[in-house]
Amino acid sequence: MENLDAARLQMAFTLIFHIVFACIGMVMPFFMVVSHYKWLKTRDQMYLTLTKAWQKGVAIFFVTGAVSGTALSFELGLLWPEFMKHAGPIIGMPFSLEGAAFFVEAIALGFYLYGWGKLPERFHWFTGIIIGLSGVASGILVVAANGWMNAPSGFDYIDGQFTNIDPIQAMLNPAWFTQALHMTLAAFTATGFAVAGIHAYQVYKKRKVELHKKAFKIALAFGAVAAILQPISGDISAKDIAKRQPVKLAAMEAHYNTEKGAPLYIGGIVDAETQEVSHKIALPGMLSFLAFGDFDAEVKGLNDFPEDERPNVPMVHYAFQIMVGIGSILLLAGILYFVSLKKRKWLNSNKYWLLFILLAPMGFIALEAGWIVTEVGRQPWIIHKIMRTKDAVTPMPGIVVSFYTYIVVYATLSVAVTWLMLRQIRVLNHSN
Amino acid sequence: MPMLYVVLFFLIFSLYLYVVLGGADYGAGIVELFSSEENQQITKKTIYRVMGPVWEANHIWIIILIVILWIAFPAYYNIMVVHLHIPLTIVLLGVTLRGVAFVFRHYDAVIDNSQKVYDTMFKISSLITPIFLGMVFGGLISGNIVITGDVASLSFYEAFLQPWFNIFSLLIGMFFAALCAFLSSVLLIGEAEPGNEKVYIKKSRIAAMVVVIIGLLTFLYGFITGKAFVMGFIENGFAVVLVILSAVLLYPLWMTIKKGNKVWSRFYAGLQVFLILLAALVSHFPNVVITTDASVSLLQDIAPDSVIQALGVALIIGGLIILPGLFHLLKSFKMIKILER
Repeated sequence: MENLDAARLQMAFTLIFHIVFACIGMVMPFFMVVSHYKWLKTRDQMYLTLTKAWQKGVAIFFVTGAVSGTALSFELGLLWPEFMKHAGPIIGMPFSLEGAAFFVEAIALGFYLYGWGKLPERFHWFTGIIIGLSGVASGILVVAANGWMNAPSGFDYIDGQFTNIDPIQAMLNPAWFTQALHMTLAAFTATGFAVAGIHAYQVYKKRKVELHKKAFKIALAFGAVAAILQPISGDISAKDIAKRQPVKLAAMEAHYNTEKGAPLYIGGIVDAETQEVSHKIALPGMLSFLAFGDFDAEVKGLNDFPEDERPNVPMVHYAFQIMVGIGSILLLAGILYFVSLKKRKWLNSNKYWLLFILLAPMGFIALEAGWIVTEVGRQPWIIHKIMRTKDAVTPMPGIVVSFYTYIVVYATLSVAVTWLMLRQIRVLNHSN
Repeated sequence: MPMLYVVLFFLIFSLYLYVVLGGADYGAGIVELFSSEENQQITKKTIYRVMGPVWEANHIWIIILIVILWIAFPAYYNIMVVHLHIPLTIVLLGVTLRGVAFVFRHYDAVIDNSQKVYDTMFKISSLITPIFLGMVFGGLISGNIVITGDVASLSFYEAFLQPWFNIFSLLIGMFFAALCAFLSSVLLIGEAEPGNEKVYIKKSRIAAMVVVIIGLLTFLYGFITGKAFVMGFIENGFAVVLVILSAVLLYPLWMTIKKGNKVWSRFYAGLQVFLILLAALVSHFPNVVITTDASVSLLQDIAPDSVIQALGVALIIGGLIILPGLFHLLKSFKMIKILER
């Protein structure tokens, strides 16, 4: 394997791993805080049990997210030293603020986890809110740094030199808001459906049904609202990419030839050689409309861009289809959830619970697919139109060794964390 | 540019706190590793009670440190991540395994034989990680890094192994691990359940001796082989005074440990780290990388002024939020003994 490929795979693999843990660590505190609030209001013992069970989940996921995040903060430099040498100072602002937010989160977590019976009740509960808010702030700041790679700004690039650096403008780059909004909603959707799915399984199996129904409701309320809002954010993102990174949009849609009134392809198998897309559903004019709000607008095709500036089209296209497809299903499921709050009979049907069990991993699959769209879609650039990924990679050979090491360690960790969660649930079901 | 001083202050401040707080944290695992079976269980419980609320915060100092380095001192950071790739990767794996082992063993819902696996993982990674961290630092100052515009012209050994894979770096790695164990033992004197203090008083004394012995060995080895880092120490009058002061202060440190004084043993232990760090800084700053033929200044190819300004402001704001919060956290869990009187 080439060094560049190994470095890219290692980066992708560690990010794919980290994102899951970071999202859960960022969103689950909100579920925990709601349950905690209900305990304080109703003094219903069940909410206390649930809060404490979720808090253990938060602790385990937070730590796994934190250590894999620490690893990532080093990996940026270890794998892409040339990138960090130039980009580090420019995008330092969101990273230093993220460091602060993360610190606040760790302090609040210390208070929350170890504060039971030691801190005033309200203050204790409030530290839980701080965990959630600082977690979301961290997420937004890191995504802002990624946004800069897609929409580099806040500097002048003259003769291969970065001059006139404005770190604030770099942080508030044109992509930060659309990306951060999309990712925050995605994190709530994915975590909401995943947690709800696990509790749905317990209801389905008739274990501690009342407790798990309460848990299901709290988690899915967050997930459903986010899933319903997500298409709006997706639309903003698509229009933004159409303007800033037309080649990425073309790859997402496997759109090879520039045309007016471009059709939207749903599904389809891409043949990169012949530039044909077979087995698709084509909606005439829809791509033009979604990208520019006009059915007749011209959408640039891949062939308008130099061959060495195009990403891997099939991968980006398939990932995009998966993301949008699952997003649509989750939107419907979100609506179904709110209807079911009125139609209480549904809650007695096993099919209802089965549906949400099946949807449990879907949010995360969509979320990872979305990151593949944005990251693979940016290639061959590490900084859009400024620096190529191949020019940023470390001169150290043999990255493939560290890549396989990370695979073994992180795969083991994933198995271990899953196993620990199963044990938490088993103990929860046998508690009083 | 006054903001540069703010940035440098936070850089050194984070380094100091990481060595003291993060170090005590690593040391906890080392103390556990070198304990009898019965003492291991006592130590495990004490560590959980003491470190539980703060250990994550302790480890964020290294993230602050690394972020300051890459933002403000990109050229320096570049040398580190290119030439010390291997030990840094081992450190990261160590940090990961140690962190998860800590939560696994305290948050696993079922207590059974898997605890043994977590314990072993925790103890071994607690020893290996600081050794390699020390080796990274050793690599930066051992004078084995070859700076060239073209890394590809060097052999793998010259570019990626020789900088850190040498006796001097290994000695510094072992020195740091011993220091961690020492800091942790002193901390645990004040945190142990009544009746258990003696265990940690004894451990503190052993660890203090080990630190002094490895320290002397490192110094001697550096002196004999003519390491620029050690020579710089000897030639700088101020650094010599600081080292002598730290040697003199070993006596009150020894006595306060012997008496099990919670407040003063910590104070003197922290002061030792401060004095050694300060001596290293005054004798070498800003030449914090010592290469085969010369030194690389931290201030060489520094980030542009606009970046330093923004970073300085961010650090001040961050510090104003974090430090009171951290203080309150340590206070709430009775980690600051002087307030308990």
